[in-house]
Amino acid sequence: MSEPSVAPVRPRPLRWRTFGRNPLVVLGTAIVLVFAVAALAAPLLAIRSPLAQLLDERLTPPGAGSPLGLDQLGRDIFSRLLFGARISLLVGLVVVALAGVVGTLVGVIAGFAGGWADHVLMRITDVFFAFPSLILAMAIAAALGPSLTHAMVAIAAVTWPVYARLSRAQTLVLNRLEFLDAARAMGAPDLRIVLRHILPNALAPLVVQASFNMGEAILIAAGLSFIGFGAQPPTPEWGVMVSEGRDYITTQWWVPTFPGLAILLAVTGFNLLGDGIRDVLDPRLRRPV
Amino acid sequence: MRIRFVLAMVVIGTLLGPQMSSRAATAADTLVYVNDISDMISLDPAVAYEFSGILAATNIYDTLVAFEGEDLTTLKPRLAQSWFIRDNGSRWAVTLKLRPGVKFSTGRPVTAKAVAFSFDRVIALNKSPAFLFKEVAGMNEGDTIPVGTDTVVVSLPKTASPQAFLSVLTFTVAAIVDPDEVMAHQVGTDRGEAWLRNHSAGTGPYTLDRWDPESRVVLVANPNYWGPKPNLPRVIISHVPESSTQKFLLESGDADIAADLSPEQARDLATKPNVAVQKGKLLQLVYIGMNAKLPPLDNPKVREAIRASIDYDGIIRNLLRGEARKVQTIVPEGLFGFNPSAPFQQDIAQAKRLLQEAGKGEGFSIELLVPTGPAPGGVKWADLGAKVQSDLAQVGIKVEIKETAQAQLLNVYRAQKGQMVMILWGPDFPDPDGNATPFADYDAKSLAWRNQYSDADAAKLAKQAALEPDLMKRQALYRQLTEKVLHEGPYVILYQPLKRFGLRANVSGFVWNPMAFAEFRTVSK
Amino acid sequence: MSRYVLTRIASTALVLVGVSVLTFFIAHVVPADPVLAALGQHAREDQIQAYRHAYGLDQPVLVQYVQYMRRLAGGDLGLSIRTRRPVAYDLAEFLPATVELGSTAWLIALALGIPAGILSAIYKDRLADHLVRIAALAGAAMPVFWLGLLLLGSLYYRLHWLPGPGRLDLSIVPPPPRTGVLLIDSLLAADGPAFANALRHLVLPGLTLGLFSTAVIARMTRSAMLEVLNQEYIRTARAKGLTRLRVIMHHALRNAMIPTLTVIGISFGNLLSGAVLTETVFAWPGLGRYATASAVSLDFPAVMGVTLVVAVFYTLANLVVDLLYARVDPRIRYE
Repeated sequence: MSEPSVAPVRPRPLRWRTFGRNPLVVLGTAIVLVFAVAALAAPLLAIRSPLAQLLDERLTPPGAGSPLGLDQLGRDIFSRLLFGARISLLVGLVVVALAGVVGTLVGVIAGFAGGWADHVLMRITDVFFAFPSLILAMAIAAALGPSLTHAMVAIAAVTWPVYARLSRAQTLVLNRLEFLDAARAMGAPDLRIVLRHILPNALAPLVVQASFNMGEAILIAAGLSFIGFGAQPPTPEWGVMVSEGRDYITTQWWVPTFPGLAILLAVTGFNLLGDGIRDVLDPRLRRPV
Repeated sequence: MRIRFVLAMVVIGTLLGPQMSSRAATAADTLVYVNDISDMISLDPAVAYEFSGILAATNIYDTLVAFEGEDLTTLKPRLAQSWFIRDNGSRWAVTLKLRPGVKFSTGRPVTAKAVAFSFDRVIALNKSPAFLFKEVAGMNEGDTIPVGTDTVVVSLPKTASPQAFLSVLTFTVAAIVDPDEVMAHQVGTDRGEAWLRNHSAGTGPYTLDRWDPESRVVLVANPNYWGPKPNLPRVIISHVPESSTQKFLLESGDADIAADLSPEQARDLATKPNVAVQKGKLLQLVYIGMNAKLPPLDNPKVREAIRASIDYDGIIRNLLRGEARKVQTIVPEGLFGFNPSAPFQQDIAQAKRLLQEAGKGEGFSIELLVPTGPAPGGVKWADLGAKVQSDLAQVGIKVEIKETAQAQLLNVYRAQKGQMVMILWGPDFPDPDGNATPFADYDAKSLAWRNQYSDADAAKLAKQAALEPDLMKRQALYRQLTEKVLHEGPYVILYQPLKRFGLRANVSGFVWNPMAFAEFRTVSK
Repeated sequence: MSRYVLTRIASTALVLVGVSVLTFFIAHVVPADPVLAALGQHAREDQIQAYRHAYGLDQPVLVQYVQYMRRLAGGDLGLSIRTRRPVAYDLAEFLPATVELGSTAWLIALALGIPAGILSAIYKDRLADHLVRIAALAGAAMPVFWLGLLLLGSLYYRLHWLPGPGRLDLSIVPPPPRTGVLLIDSLLAADGPAFANALRHLVLPGLTLGLFSTAVIARMTRSAMLEVLNQEYIRTARAKGLTRLRVIMHHALRNAMIPTLTVIGISFGNLLSGAVLTETVFAWPGLGRYATASAVSLDFPAVMGVTLVVAVFYTLANLVVDLLYARVDPRIRYE
């Protein structure tokens, strides 16, 4: 190592025991694990292809051959939900990656550079905060043309500012600490300081935010798909499935009910997981609302 | 504390108590018609070109001639009591003599000048339906000449068909508006367009009482109406976009007629007391356009293979519950020149053989654009798309469905950039030429153009048939054209839809016109 | 006026300019041609040209932005391509329905969320607390459109307890429109049945839209209350022999409301987002449906109009909340 080793700031013991003690958090983790398994093993667990149609048996209620029933084209709802888990997890991961990288980058640059750059970047962040999320996401998705990819871009575009604010605040705190002065005195370049010292130490709140962001992304994506600006039929996306099943709420309730339940559970899972991670990493972090 | 408690109970009682008002019938003098009116943008007959706008305007305004009920072949007098066509050598002259003594709802008399004003206004405003006058009839401002107070002569170029012009005259675009009333509300040079959007100045059986966008249109009987008084003096066209809600309102007696029932809902209603189901014909065709210049669709054998792979009967039997007609030629049933030939039904072996011959035996991938929402006939576009996808998969054609808002889909389609596009077509006026030219004539820049299907013979046949005065000959020409396009054209015609209405048992006299509107004056209960 | 207030207002103004740039930018990356979209499949070339010209779409983008800003300054939001009317007229027409629904949802969120949060804090780790926390969790993760469908399916279609989509029963003649808010209009017209009917029609969409905010407010009230209840002066008050209820109502609640205020500002944004979905499910003729319908038909003047107006409302609401917050909590300073 060419650099002097520097003591990390305020080392904290990770409180893994808190994580295991809270039953809700355990529940959340379990839900997330179930969905992850469902998504990964979808082809193995599915009864049929999510697109396979049995037109003559359409709208069969839940029963022996199909645990959650068949939809309006005779497709197996259980199998569609499994493949839908893939899509939702993918949406969550892509959005977190996009929004997380862009937001953190903006925040760290703003906090580290300060002055003029800080002002400009933070005012841009403010502009994005000025829109209710779904409305901005819908406008962007509509402008780009409805597709799942564009929906992911749109959701990332409305959720990155939270990362920017969080990482900027962390950077400002860390930047004032003495160990960075020491690193600078040793002639370490800015990039190295950011990568080696600031980012690792600023990570805790960002990881918590990422978990909440997963749930949020899944929820917004389902909403966008419901009004037609997200995934396109016959994709087994959960929001699309609720939307397609709307007309059957009075006559064949299972068609729109199960996909909605899946959304509710998945989002709950990620929210609970976020709570848990926050408690482990730093109990003083307040949940961003 | 006790008073608060009582108050709280009263509030909770109003909110959660059983519905008092429902289970009751609608008012005896009112017809409540529920459907989706979100497409309504104007009730001005020179502007309206949307289903719900035309439905309302039809009942507010009269045209010179009309098709009544389901009959789209016999012209009936309306504001004109007689008419004749004369060949002037260089142009056609269509002379129409007005019915005497007709007054607008404003009390002013209908004159030949009002007719000329109304027609010229359509051409000057140049809104969506104006092409019917400008393109189909080849009219310009000033071509409608008043002769005295009760006669008008319309002069048409020889390139236009006078029969087609008379068909156009039955449509709301040719409705007669009160010039004095309209011009009294002119803003700038808009010829009263802004005002007439949500006011009325016509001669029809009803006048417009109010229009609350996305909520309701209320029509009340026109006191100056020239014909027999409508049976029901009030009509409420109520905006209920969801068909399941429409069905519910009908069953509970809150609505008299529900306009958009799915086949399942109609089937369910048929078993209920106090309600009846009535079917209505439509001239629309639900079809897939294939881009004829895009490989491998440029090979007619590939197109024929696609036509041979689709399970038309399954679509009609299962998705539409049998409620559609299997039509495969470009002129729908109900129009002159209809050709009932329907040779295609899923034949996987045949389709595979055709693909083999075309050198595409291993199949290929293709994109299918599908609109959002419900398709005519009560099935969702997306579900139709998914069905076609799974049918074509059986012969190795991998279809990627892109569900796109209609507006966006048309952008792609119009720019000739579609690969396969699923959409509907309805003729703009009830004449086979309303389908033949768009489907067959590349130069008309309509459907044939969008699918890059350029066939000089087909175009020539369409032109010839449009202007042919001899009905026997015309029939033969359309037969020839439809057979030709059936196999050579770039279209897969899936079905001709039916519309289902739910009616309260006491409602009678409701007649649906296949051009997609109804006249409420005949309805009683 | 303090320095804080001035800076806050100045930065809000700056943000609003940014908002206008962003909405304009979004509307101009549209790959599809909105004019062709507006005219439908029967339009001819001359109509297309006429539209393009009438809407200024034949000008360079920068010129269009300048024109757009100039018109905006005069309160002109442009012409809607779909309804062919000034967007401002359309917004005025559809705003009251959203205001009525949004206020109902907001009141429901306050009326349920704050007491639930207080109860939950007082009975920490007891049954009531667990119930509130689980409900709040579900509320925060609930897809609103699905909740609306379920409520309609059960309480309207199956049980007939409450009215379904729309703002009034079909049989009710709407009161003459004065404000556009049916509850007010029916009162002005002294129309009791219309008022009762409009109120009943608000219940299901109000609950649907309000649930998410209820959950957030309950969570925030709970944690704020817990923090306050642990503080020295509360314990002192209790020690002085004041009753539990009195301490909670007079001392704890007031202080706990400070952080809750911010959440209420933010919940305004949630309500506007949720309105898009709720109005779709309940066929509610408000801004949300107008926005979706416009977006579907690529009517970007209208989409820009709604987005802009909503963003301005939201930004101003947050400004008000921040200023209030600064008043009640003197420790707040800018940056």
